[in-house]
Amino acid sequence: MTEKKTMTYYPGCSSQGSGKHLDESLRAVMPEVGIEMEDIEDWNCCGASIGHIGGGQLPNLALTGRNLAQARKRGTQDVITGCAACYLNTHGGNEKIKADVKKKAEVNEALAEAGMSYDGDLKVRHACEVLVNDVGVEAIEKRVTNPLKGLKVAGYVGCQTVRPFAGTEAGGDYDAYDDPTFLDDFTKACGAEAVPFKHKTSCCGGSVAVMSPDRTLHLMKAIVEEAAKQGADVISTPCPLCQTNVEMYQPLINEKFGTDYHIPVVFYSQLMAVAFGMDGEKDAALQRNTIRSEKLEGMAKKK
Amino acid sequence: MTTPAPAAGKTYDLSFARWVRDNINGGDKLNLCMQCGACSGSCPIGVQMDYGPRKLFMMIRAGMKEEVLSANTQWNCTSCYRCVVRCPRGVPVTYILQDLAAKSAEFGYAKGPHENKNFAQSFWWSAATFGRTDERLVTMRYFFSLGLGEGFKRAMANLKVALGMVKTGRMHIGLPHMTKGRKGLKAILAKAREIEARH
Repeated sequence: MTEKKTMTYYPGCSSQGSGKHLDESLRAVMPEVGIEMEDIEDWNCCGASIGHIGGGQLPNLALTGRNLAQARKRGTQDVITGCAACYLNTHGGNEKIKADVKKKAEVNEALAEAGMSYDGDLKVRHACEVLVNDVGVEAIEKRVTNPLKGLKVAGYVGCQTVRPFAGTEAGGDYDAYDDPTFLDDFTKACGAEAVPFKHKTSCCGGSVAVMSPDRTLHLMKAIVEEAAKQGADVISTPCPLCQTNVEMYQPLINEKFGTDYHIPVVFYSQLMAVAFGMDGEKDAALQRNTIRSEKLEGMAKKK
Repeated sequence: MTTPAPAAGKTYDLSFARWVRDNINGGDKLNLCMQCGACSGSCPIGVQMDYGPRKLFMMIRAGMKEEVLSANTQWNCTSCYRCVVRCPRGVPVTYILQDLAAKSAEFGYAKGPHENKNFAQSFWWSAATFGRTDERLVTMRYFFSLGLGEGFKRAMANLKVALGMVKTGRMHIGLPHMTKGRKGLKAILAKAREIEARH
């Protein structure tokens, strides 16, 4: 980390709901490592994985077009998001607009209805990729004043944070698809212990888990089971949907499989906020987890 | 479960494969599929599908339009993209399944109360109406779209989860969060639909 950077931040819909603690902790920690974030003015939904079913492919892409047209008002600085689905759609849509002249023309024809346009000259990036490539794990480690000594963390990356873009040039080429190391690197930089975790990129069920938990409870059970087996105090994840699914469905998993899991699922950025010696509530937003980690909360500074 | 197969002695009908090539997002790459099965083997809930992606793609080639469009395969895709990064031939499997789901719904193959279709429609309603996803309203609208009784049943079953979210401030009480420029957004979406219909 050599210089401070300002990026345009896309919080996404979960930032105002189930993923509020990702948003709050990211806003707290990113400036601490030199990344200032300015919100996209009046942003809209990205369409997630299912927007095209209800709305159609082009209207779904137009959602991204509008967001990027709004982002462009802040200049050509990079767009950054912490949400896996927002990243997948916005980055994927942006690359499509760049590569496909016809699509770009169609998106712009639609945007013109609201007096907007987007030329395809922005770069959309995931917060984790920015932390790896621009900030660097060493700089994160250097900022740590309150190392999370003795905290065992299972690093659960999930799917869309790394797939399908983490290994592509446009995606910053920062890690592998099946065995990424960045999340464990973050854990270690925070002074905690990264336990071996074979389900790091297994799927939680995504939106199928939300609409129909019965179809995917066994996927979430495998993730929680392995974390418990490895003695993890907490599961750490970058993805708001993974966080909510794996946390809120533990009672249902216990009911269905006769288990007794009660493992906190937190964001890497919450761990960082605690390790940076920041406030446990205001910055790390630990009170927003429905399964609380006494151990982590005990480490957090209160201001 | 018996696997549908083309009638004996019937020559392959490529008209459906050609339609997929021209009309499905990523369908132009389908001819690269060499039937290795890396996609089906990588799929987290492939065993719950009527056919894995590999078999579904062969059925497309075999012209089995009805079986393909009424399959639950495309609806069970969780969009994990494992097949996409593992396909040795660069077939964008997830994208193809996602668009097959959209087209199945459009052509009336997802009949009646259909979990995935109804959830997707509730989701889009929120995005297009408010400019944002309101998790509370999407969920409730989805639950009750499955029927009044089913709606109450699911709402009650999720009460505890909802209360936990309210208590931790991850579900708010009151009006939905909204994009201010909703009028412009609606005009953009309407125009995009109109452009798409031209195709």
